[in-house]
Amino acid sequence: MLETLAAGQLLFAALALGALYALVALGLNLVYGTMRLLNVAHGDLVMLGGYATYWAFAAAGIPPLAAVLLTASGGAALGAGAYRGLFRRLLAAPRATARIEANSLLAFFGLSVIVQNLAALAFTATPRGYEYLSGVVRIGEVAVTGGRLAAVALALALCAAVLAFLRRHVLGLAMRALVEQREAAAVVGVDIDRAQRASFVLGFGTAAVAGTLLSMTEQVSPFMGFPITIAAFVVVIMGGLGRIEGTLAAAFLLGAIETYGVALTSPTYRSILVYGLFVTVLLVRPQGLLGRRAIVR
Amino acid sequence: MSERRDAVLVLGALGAGAAVPAIGSDYWTGFAITALMWIALAQSWSVFSGLSGYVSFGHVVFYGLGAYLVVATWDRLSPALSVPLAALAAAAFALAIGAPVLRVRGPYFVILSFGIAELVKFVVIAAEAAAGHASRLILRTPDLAALFYLMLALAAAATALAWAVRSTRLGHGLRAIREDEVAAETIGVPVARYKLAALALSAAVPGAVGGTMAMRATYFEPLQAFDPMVSFTMIAMAVIGGSDDLRGPVLGALVLVYLSELLWAGAPQLYMVILGALVLGFALFVPGGLCGRAGARRARPA
Repeated sequence: MLETLAAGQLLFAALALGALYALVALGLNLVYGTMRLLNVAHGDLVMLGGYATYWAFAAAGIPPLAAVLLTASGGAALGAGAYRGLFRRLLAAPRATARIEANSLLAFFGLSVIVQNLAALAFTATPRGYEYLSGVVRIGEVAVTGGRLAAVALALALCAAVLAFLRRHVLGLAMRALVEQREAAAVVGVDIDRAQRASFVLGFGTAAVAGTLLSMTEQVSPFMGFPITIAAFVVVIMGGLGRIEGTLAAAFLLGAIETYGVALTSPTYRSILVYGLFVTVLLVRPQGLLGRRAIVR
Repeated sequence: MSERRDAVLVLGALGAGAAVPAIGSDYWTGFAITALMWIALAQSWSVFSGLSGYVSFGHVVFYGLGAYLVVATWDRLSPALSVPLAALAAAAFALAIGAPVLRVRGPYFVILSFGIAELVKFVVIAAEAAAGHASRLILRTPDLAALFYLMLALAAAATALAWAVRSTRLGHGLRAIREDEVAAETIGVPVARYKLAALALSAAVPGAVGGTMAMRATYFEPLQAFDPMVSFTMIAMAVIGGSDDLRGPVLGALVLVYLSELLWAGAPQLYMVILGALVLGFALFVPGGLCGRAGARRARPA
């Protein structure tokens, strides 16, 4: 048993899962920080990114590693459009009450149901996959396919880039200021509109890219987004709503808990593990296990 | 009061529906059972969520537990005993989880209630797998007409409950919690006790409905009995019809049952797209629903 747990293969699996969760949850948390609403349709953006990559490869022969640019700009454009067309107006409305927030969450569920079923109508429910960089690469004792290795490396690089952007770039700092102290940020002269739009662009773009990376290792299907949304919720809530570093730590933590938990027990317990964690964290500390302070709403 | 008039109207319509098995074919009786099931579920949901403003996205857990109880005790208990027991078990489960869960508010409560229902679903799946069942069949279930009258009674009970709660201190207290929980507590509403009581009351009928539908299906499969779409659909019905109105959940249930009958067999995805669009539209733009009383009262923002 101990040898299984110490195996590099398992460690790599945990890292790979964590990197994917980090990428998706970072975007979800940025969008949450901006509008203080959980985007239930976030995982569906991953699904759309996956389909875009599949079709680009199957119909036009564009390799997934090049399609990343396509899905990134497509996701970013969708984010900018969604912000301009819909959310700017909603965000301009006076501070919402808890009941209205709960209603908005329902509206997002409605949106997610629409997107999933439109995808099922357009692409059929049959899962789609492709062969790309399927040769096995050996790093020490770990054997992975080239596609999987590339996906994990790219996910890690992107997470690092997003983190650096949020820490160093002036727009990234503006976004963090917005997340932490909305009113104060406006007072000190942060361009709220620009920072909000940037959050949507970055959040939607990273989700679509995550879809590309996921399609390199797994099949895509219209309803694949929902479990991803749930995992990202768990990560965001564990890491602290609006907290960027906490999200990264929580993503790798969930990746490890899931991978090692399933290895220790059996795959049938995976969902119990994830939802058990989800419920426990919400009950014990709705502001996040790793959060510095409460963001009480 | 107009709420008494609404209650009489809905109960009268349900009473008139009692003639369906006598005059209609089995198809119509089956259709009526489905419609009554959704009326009972949406009406029960509105007792807790419509009045308190705590949007439960996990009410299917009560339905699923009720179905599980009736099926698991099928060889030992008669339905005359197990169906009421299903209602009690659902209410007991609500009481057991209520205290910690109801401290969580707003959107967090929505996702927490969803998470609990999913957690219970996967625990039941694991328990059934450990016991060697993938699904269970039950034999010698009551005939269609008997199930119809049982479901009719449950829809009437849910409506009577919704009316009774609205006309007592409990209902007024819950509405106060919905408008401003802190203020309600300040003026002396026993906030925690009222929320817990409403959740338990709102869980009972779905428990019995789940048990009844298990007899109608003659089998139990956890993925279906705990399907989150059941929660989503009852919310959709209450929100479309109006969740703080005795007629609202009934109206919403009839609209969606009709729509589903038209589209589900031929174009299920189109039905889901329309369902999603209706929830999106009503939640954002018509929070009072078709019956609109709650919306009219909240026309002037506080």
